[in-house]
Amino acid sequence: MHLNDVYVTVGTTKFDALINAMTSNQVLRALQDLKCQKLVLQHGNSTPVAEPEVRRIYEKYGIQVEQYQFRPNVEDIRAADVIIGHAGAGTCMDILNNGKAGLIVVNDELMDNHQLELARQLASENYLYYCRVHEVASKLGVLDFGALRPYEPATKNMQMFIEALKELMSQ
Amino acid sequence: MCRISKATAETSAHPIYIILGSGGHTAEMCKINQALLQPNNPQTHNRPVRYIVANSDDTSKRQMRAALPATKDSDFISVPRSRSVGQSWPSSVFTTLWALLWSCWLIWRDRPQLVLCNGPGTCVPYCYAAYMWRLLGCLPAHSKIVFVESYCRVETLSLSGRLLLPLVDMFVVHWPALATRYAHKPNLRYFGRLL
Repeated sequence: MHLNDVYVTVGTTKFDALINAMTSNQVLRALQDLKCQKLVLQHGNSTPVAEPEVRRIYEKYGIQVEQYQFRPNVEDIRAADVIIGHAGAGTCMDILNNGKAGLIVVNDELMDNHQLELARQLASENYLYYCRVHEVASKLGVLDFGALRPYEPATKNMQMFIEALKELMSQ
Repeated sequence: MCRISKATAETSAHPIYIILGSGGHTAEMCKINQALLQPNNPQTHNRPVRYIVANSDDTSKRQMRAALPATKDSDFISVPRSRSVGQSWPSSVFTTLWALLWSCWLIWRDRPQLVLCNGPGTCVPYCYAAYMWRLLGCLPAHSKIVFVESYCRVETLSLSGRLLLPLVDMFVVHWPALATRYAHKPNLRYFGRLL
């Protein structure tokens, strides 16, 4: 599978470990093997990558790094072949609702983060993948993003809820 | 204690109250509303809907108007926020009480047929107010309070959820772990994920 455009997003969090991991030699090598040409980093409150480092990555791996703190991300999501992000519910929904391949990376520094529960549940149902920061490079080498299930809107369940609501209101 | 004139009771003008919160919660509520307000739902279709939105939250309002273009500006009721992020503790006691007074006044004024919410902290005083006025006989006899837990809650309930589980008429969860854990609660319902 080719992952030309890789979009990394951390929302409003500070997740330096993920930004560092994504620009580590191991991950860049894995991305190079997957034919990655563009790496977009939405770094939020994490420390951005230094300019010389951005140049070095381009020269060594042929990967163009684009980074920013925040901006409307519709275009980035649409263009992405894979979305790699923190376990925020917003990131999970962006992956699912746009039918994108997704890899959620757990932030070990956040204790008692209930949003992890959601990422874990969605991973157990095969809608996306889920790993720890130090596993990103090895996972990128082996994960089969084509094997993920498409996420379908739960229209039937919603209709059952609305029926139950109508019944409750007519009591 | 409350006297509702027969005329008022029969016009069935009692609105549906929908409590909006911040970004993620509002996105979920937009989807629920699109399903709820379809023309083939006679219980809900011709009934006025009032959206309760914190007065500093223009985003939720914009989101809802984009999802349901038929909504008008007058459908939204701006209310004080009970607590802003970073607010000091003593002042948040005051603002919470103020928000509670507001919710009591609005519920008493509009006597909603249904209070529907999905998790933001703002909804807690509205559910308590509706519960209290119903106990006192001020709401239409079959007015209901319905809480949909946040889609993000897979194994544990949110704080709003824990506060409201004992009193709402229907409490909806999205995931099997919560459904199993609270299977003994008669008001808890699980239809699978709704989103």
